[in-house]
Amino acid sequence: MKFFSHQRLFLITASVIALCLIIAPLVVQNNFQLRVVMLFMIYALVAMGLNILVGLVSLVSLGQAGIYALGAYTVGVLTVKYSWPLFATMGTAIVLSVIVGVVLAYPTVRVRGVYLAVVTIAFGLIVQNVVIDWRTVTGGTLGISNIPRADLGFGPLDTTGLYALIAGIMFVAFLLHHNLIYSRYGRAMHAVAQSETAASSLGINPANQRVFAFVISAVYAGIAGALYAYLNRYVNPDTFSFSDSIRFLLMVILGGSGTTLGPLIGAGILTWIPNLLQAFGKWQLFVYGALLAAVIFLLPKGIIGTLNSWLRALMSRSRNQQQSAEPWPKASDQIAGFLRSQDQNREPIMVTSELTIKFGGLTALSNVSLQVERASVHAIIGPNGAGKTTMLNALSGFYKPTSGVVYLNQQDISSLTSDQVARIGLTRTFQNTELFSEMSVKENIVVAFNSRYKTGILGTLLRLPGYFREENKIDIQTVQLLDYVGLKDFADELAKNLAFGHQRRLEIARALGLSPQILLLDEPAAGLTHAEIDELIALIRDLKSLGVTIILVEHHVDMIMAVSDHVTVLDYGEVIASGTPAQVRDDPRVIEAYFGAVVPTEFSMESK
Amino acid sequence: MNWGVMSAYVQYLLSGIVIGSIYAMVALGFYVMWSAVRAVNFAHGDTLMLGAVIAVALSWAGIPLVFGIPLAIGCAVIFGMFIERFAVRPLNHGSSSIGWMLSTIAIGLMLESFVTVTFGSDPRSLPSPLMDTPINILGAGIFLHELLIPIAAIGLLIALDGFYKRTMIGRAMRAVAQNPIAAGLMGIDVQRMALISFGVAGALGAFTGILAAPIIQVSASMGVLLGLKGFLVAIIAGMSNARGIVITGFAYGIFERFVEGFGNTSMREVLGFGVMILLLLIFPKGIFAPQEIKKV
Repeated sequence: MKFFSHQRLFLITASVIALCLIIAPLVVQNNFQLRVVMLFMIYALVAMGLNILVGLVSLVSLGQAGIYALGAYTVGVLTVKYSWPLFATMGTAIVLSVIVGVVLAYPTVRVRGVYLAVVTIAFGLIVQNVVIDWRTVTGGTLGISNIPRADLGFGPLDTTGLYALIAGIMFVAFLLHHNLIYSRYGRAMHAVAQSETAASSLGINPANQRVFAFVISAVYAGIAGALYAYLNRYVNPDTFSFSDSIRFLLMVILGGSGTTLGPLIGAGILTWIPNLLQAFGKWQLFVYGALLAAVIFLLPKGIIGTLNSWLRALMSRSRNQQQSAEPWPKASDQIAGFLRSQDQNREPIMVTSELTIKFGGLTALSNVSLQVERASVHAIIGPNGAGKTTMLNALSGFYKPTSGVVYLNQQDISSLTSDQVARIGLTRTFQNTELFSEMSVKENIVVAFNSRYKTGILGTLLRLPGYFREENKIDIQTVQLLDYVGLKDFADELAKNLAFGHQRRLEIARALGLSPQILLLDEPAAGLTHAEIDELIALIRDLKSLGVTIILVEHHVDMIMAVSDHVTVLDYGEVIASGTPAQVRDDPRVIEAYFGAVVPTEFSMESK
Repeated sequence: MNWGVMSAYVQYLLSGIVIGSIYAMVALGFYVMWSAVRAVNFAHGDTLMLGAVIAVALSWAGIPLVFGIPLAIGCAVIFGMFIERFAVRPLNHGSSSIGWMLSTIAIGLMLESFVTVTFGSDPRSLPSPLMDTPINILGAGIFLHELLIPIAAIGLLIALDGFYKRTMIGRAMRAVAQNPIAAGLMGIDVQRMALISFGVAGALGAFTGILAAPIIQVSASMGVLLGLKGFLVAIIAGMSNARGIVITGFAYGIFERFVEGFGNTSMREVLGFGVMILLLLIFPKGIFAPQEIKKV
């Protein structure tokens, strides 16, 4: 066990925070200062929620103040008008936040980036205007005053009691926030942000991840708003403006988005800074804008993010200097046990019938019917633009057929999405290697295990014993896979730092993490050296011997001849030949498709 | 329907077209920037404010508008170019990056604060000789100056169209918009085109701000909502279609005025933004954008 293991570092951090929270009420001089500390904790809650959104799924919300307002007004209205108890008001605030989270996540199905940011800004303004206009309920611009003290059932809490309540909630939220980031859920979200296509080819539904992240960020903001109402005992529309949304976002970026501690640090600085800014008088807002600009230009990773990357650089320097890739595939009993296909079915594993795909007026695939035998290597070849990649996309659920059917194990999968197809045992690699470039080599593979976890969300967030057992098991299997492709030395390296050939290996290892029945390889040999292609051939043979079916799109003729059991040739979206490599090689139509006319046999494909 | 209701409707329609033309002109500024670099000055609304504030300040200082207006527009051009060079270019890496959005918001905040301190927080207005007597149209009153605004919006649309289609530099900009790498290989200075686009957008913004100054109050915060709505208009129309942007701007302005007429300003924002979000969900690429085929 490394001395500075992540788990240990986190336990130390959490203990320090807990200690600070306990000491804080003893060292502050008066109730006013204690209230500032409470305000900080409330901001930290909003920032942690937003961190899940910004740091993990890379979506920016500039409407967080709207959800915060929703929580605050829920408490204001329900306590003052209806005298509801704390648990009921908090519960309602949470339920409303979940609903808003889902609603706000819906646009992400269609729009991202700046468009989404504008939608969230508009949402924030809608909330603010509703609050101003719905006077009978919200009190209009005057707001709601005389909100009763928080009461847990033993009488109204005094300032210290409220402090304990908020500190307790904040600390639990901090632990859950960390446990989410460092779990399969956090990894899946992070993966979606980096490559949606790759994530869905590994069985992760990108839309679900985004909705989940939005809901969490909304719940955190809603709870924070509710606590704010209990703390301030007065709410009015001024507290929930667009510039408050910007401030919440700045907290996340300043502290370091995607880090555990970042939101706390950011919230801390931006809670205390207004006090410092008092000195600037009317220039406050100017300094605030300058600070935002400075963070974006000088510290884009934020404080904690920058410290982390220094630490990473330091650790990789102290790590053994000699990282070397070993020859692959390195067959072992464990890996064979992991990958071996268990099914005794003898039917063809994949069948397409009259598969047609049209893009507008262009027919990319026309009535393609083929059968892929179980545990075979089936190559799909054809000149450029013949429809090979379209075919792979249709088989793996990325394209919906215009007409025709795709069967996997006799099941019609034509209407399934790519992530559903992946979860029933079909995955793929991509022509332009799609790695999760900001994740480590090892994490890339762990993402593929996402759909194999049995521990649920509760077990993961609460770190129940089963969670550790499962993580350990998957850790061992990940290392075995890395060993299989000879990249064990690079486990902690960022995927983007790998050499090109190694990235290919990693992509294949990652696909194997799903333990697929069928693996689709899209031009795996492109750009590789002869020696690397020989290794690839050995890998394909090894996988075949383990009962894994391979569908191979490739231009490299020698390789196709060496590994394929069956070759299907496409041209202009139609099957022009199909058979064993030898049959296809001598087919005049194939030669014509490649060379434009029938040519003497000495110019046939093999002599290329 | 009686005469009074009728004239109220005409009033909503006319003032809706006026405010809608302002949205359209703001949106055209976004369109010009987006066309060049697939990013915008998110605080483009503040460019309007900058133009109007400088024009007002100069006219209060006794400098005639004949000199004041070009000076204000000149400042906005420099401001636009500054934003492109220092806030957008260093942070614009691909479609998912939003660094430029935050950096331009930051500069907008600084500008607003600076103006609040130096110009004062009380709104002022720019007198226009065409604001003296209203013209009566079907019982609705409208100032001559207000009528100028839709004319200016349509004039700008035609001018932009001519600029992009008929001038060499306009064609070069369109080439950059479609494929910056290929345009660069053809010898077009991509960065210069971006700089010019932001300069043009700055001029457009200041022009709009000055034109709007006599009918809306000039203050440090005047551009915030105008900018946001202009951006919404631009993305709902589909960023790449100037004509669609102007039509959407008009439609949004008219819709807003009718809602306001039957309800109030808060309801105007709630329904206005609500409809905008809904439209964006139905037409994620914009109402007037050509349909694209999704590829993996």
